[in-house]
Amino acid sequence: MNPALRRLAAACLAALLALAAGLTYHQAVAGSRYRDDGRNPRAALERAVRSRGPILTADGVVVARSERRDDGTRVRTYPEGALYAHVTGYASAYFGDTGIEAARNDDLRSRNDGSLTAALFSLFGGDLRPHQVRLTVRHDLQRAAAEALGDQRGAVVALDPTTGAVLALVSHPGFDPAVLASGTPAEGDALAADPAEPLLNRALGATYPPGSSFKVVVAAAALEGGDHTPETELPDLDELPLPGSTAVIRNADGGFCGNGRSLTLERALAVSCNTAFAQLGMDLGAAALFNAAEAAGFNGTIPFDLGVVPSPFPPGDLSRDLPALAQTALGQRDVRATPLQMALLAAAVANDGVAMRPHLVAAILDADGGEVGRTRGASWRRVMGRDTAAALTRMMEQVVVAGTGWRAAVPGERVAGKTGTAEIPGGPPDVWFIGFAPVGAAPGEARIALAVLVEDGGRLGEDGGGGSVAAPIAQAVLAAFFAG
Amino acid sequence: MSRTTEAVLVSLAAALAGAGAVIASLAAGEAPTYDALVAPAVFLAAFGGLLLAVRRWAGRAARSLVPLAAWLTALGWVEVARIDRDLGRLQQWWLLVGAALAAGTLYLLRRRGVGVLRRYRYLFLVTGLGLLLLPLLPAGWPVRGVTLNGSRLWVRLQAGDLSLSFQPGEAAKLLIVAFLASYLADRHRALTVMPRRLGPVGLPEPRQLLPVLLAFGVSFAVLIYQRDLGASLLLFVVFAAMLYAATGRLAYPAAALVLLAGGGLAAYQYFDHVRARVEAWLHPFADFAGTGYQVAQGLFALGSGSLTGTGIGAGHPQLIPAAATDFVFAAIAEELGLAGGLAVVAAYALLAAAGFGIALRSRDPFRKLLAGGLTLTLVVQTVLIVGGVLRLLPLTGITLPFMSYGGSSLLANLVLISLLARVSHEEGS
Repeated sequence: MNPALRRLAAACLAALLALAAGLTYHQAVAGSRYRDDGRNPRAALERAVRSRGPILTADGVVVARSERRDDGTRVRTYPEGALYAHVTGYASAYFGDTGIEAARNDDLRSRNDGSLTAALFSLFGGDLRPHQVRLTVRHDLQRAAAEALGDQRGAVVALDPTTGAVLALVSHPGFDPAVLASGTPAEGDALAADPAEPLLNRALGATYPPGSSFKVVVAAAALEGGDHTPETELPDLDELPLPGSTAVIRNADGGFCGNGRSLTLERALAVSCNTAFAQLGMDLGAAALFNAAEAAGFNGTIPFDLGVVPSPFPPGDLSRDLPALAQTALGQRDVRATPLQMALLAAAVANDGVAMRPHLVAAILDADGGEVGRTRGASWRRVMGRDTAAALTRMMEQVVVAGTGWRAAVPGERVAGKTGTAEIPGGPPDVWFIGFAPVGAAPGEARIALAVLVEDGGRLGEDGGGGSVAAPIAQAVLAAFFAG
Repeated sequence: MSRTTEAVLVSLAAALAGAGAVIASLAAGEAPTYDALVAPAVFLAAFGGLLLAVRRWAGRAARSLVPLAAWLTALGWVEVARIDRDLGRLQQWWLLVGAALAAGTLYLLRRRGVGVLRRYRYLFLVTGLGLLLLPLLPAGWPVRGVTLNGSRLWVRLQAGDLSLSFQPGEAAKLLIVAFLASYLADRHRALTVMPRRLGPVGLPEPRQLLPVLLAFGVSFAVLIYQRDLGASLLLFVVFAAMLYAATGRLAYPAAALVLLAGGGLAAYQYFDHVRARVEAWLHPFADFAGTGYQVAQGLFALGSGSLTGTGIGAGHPQLIPAAATDFVFAAIAEELGLAGGLAVVAAYALLAAAGFGIALRSRDPFRKLLAGGLTLTLVVQTVLIVGGVLRLLPLTGITLPFMSYGGSSLLANLVLISLLARVSHEEGS
């Protein structure tokens, strides 16, 4: 009997070996596939039972929190609804995480992962409760920006030019993050399919032709070149035929910008004189514009808590295509910018030419409110020289005092800015206002810089312009800032 | 292995049960319960007691048997109690009863040895078949069959308000293995010669084979009728393997394979529940919400466990249907990972090696076949359920020996260990 028993024993051990091989395959080889399968509810459950830290504004308003339900599970709620949707993003087991929820997941999630290490840590008095994230955003400014934008599609970014702290970040249309955090998949899919693109963060994730607001970059290039001052006289034309083409540049109202002979660079910026800036752009040349744009951060990645798409400035061959160069100098053609990029441009002018590294998180707090970490202001890049920034500040103040940006004026405060109205072939323009305040006796005293973008001319549609649509929104935010 | 080592290993298994209970409580964010103190005490009492019984009445037995059983039971208990605390507490009672039963078996065999079992072979056969038939008793009787999860393989004893459910198949498997070992020990020579021919195929004398075929046919038919695929397959494979062990003729397993293929095809054709099992095996994600759900949830558990597991109490094995019984292996692999899963498989392999070693060293055919049959039962049952969880085989519901929750299973397997120990004790004679 022993030979047969031996063979049976060998067969049994072979079968057990097959079990070991199968187990190894399922756990070590195919394991991650099963783990990440959407139908595996473990990730959602993990999240549902563990607490998650709150997200607060700079002034202590709770904009995201986890609430315990009667059955012991937790649900992520967003008390301010859509207002902070594009800041906090959402934490969803089904759709994943976005915004600060994703960027600061390690701070927000509970450190009690159920492991033995965590249990021992807690046994010896360690605090496993999740941290809180305090934003730099001020609730009053966020609300003022959202109210001023109203039902128009667009974005507002306001930041402290001396630190880079973002004071308001609004993108409209928004969405209720709770729908994605705990709603049905169908509700989330409906948001994703909405043609108004409520999930798109227009402040960071979309680029628009900057129009005349780009003239700030052209003016900076001119001043940096050394051949121009704010007082340099430029020819005042009603029409500028572009060399080597049939295209003609005209001014916004079709006439001259001034007396029909010449006007200063400062005046040309104030009234947003297209013919003068198109000629200036061609005179400066493609290389000078390219360098000034890249110094401002175009074509680069902006370091930020959230993802920002690069703002493209077309490289290279503009020098051989003067019509294209002229149109680029007006912020048209192929140049595109995110509202954050334009806000940083304004902030650089306000801060002696240095753009600070933008940030949304002011501090990380422990569960009792004690500070664990704080974001310190750090410079990101020098956009222009100190003197250039000082000159541009004076020039941009004139835009508001006696130019296209007058609707941004705040009584009792000195505001500087620049409007932009980017022509879109076959449709209403995208309109801009970028600026900062207050303008002090000495440079670098501004405490808020902002960019406002409204798609498709906003409420005014075809007739919309940066001065008529975007500047009043900027005014509302600035007024709220000085009132607060 | 010295006696001290053996005792230390059993104590470690008891400590494992206590530590597991503490870890599970901490992972749930709760204070440790009294289970953390009770469990080691129960394990020490049960396996320490069994160890003393083995030393007294089977002193020359292989020393690895009890520690291995203790370790597997402790690990299984930790997982079961972590999934359902009440089941864990019940299982402690079953453990005490099972250990007492195993010790009692050794006591009864203390004088005359396992050889005495040969006398009762037909009693075993009739009792075994009777047990298999029990679940078919109609409702309203004090002892009646109960259908659970679509299979009628449970019996409920009802006496007033007290009710007790058990799976008679677990006890029947021991009785039938004992019958087969005894019968084949006497008749193996007669079954080895194949005087009759059916074409090119040699056949043994039908008279010799008849009781075996009867036992096999009845048990198999009953189990098919009860839709207990796991137990039918287990008995079928053990039958074929024991016939092969007794005769050395490959014709028996070959014939069994043909029968199995034919029966399997027929079952696939005519039984919806068999077809559903096969579909769930081949394509668990095709009907995810339906037939494939359990297998798919098992795979999710395995994948989430990865190499080192989530840790006891930190996974979500409750998501798997029948996590404490049929799928306890998936639950362990989730929380202890590949490392823990392989350790469990290795422990069964050690137990198998010990069991076959006892069979090989035994001198007389009955003891050889009894030890071999019992070991086969243990291994085949393990391979059937773990292979089902791992999608190596279609899933057939059956318990994982020592680890799954279930009184009948634990009792039967503890008695199995005591029988192996006794055979081992008698190796030299």
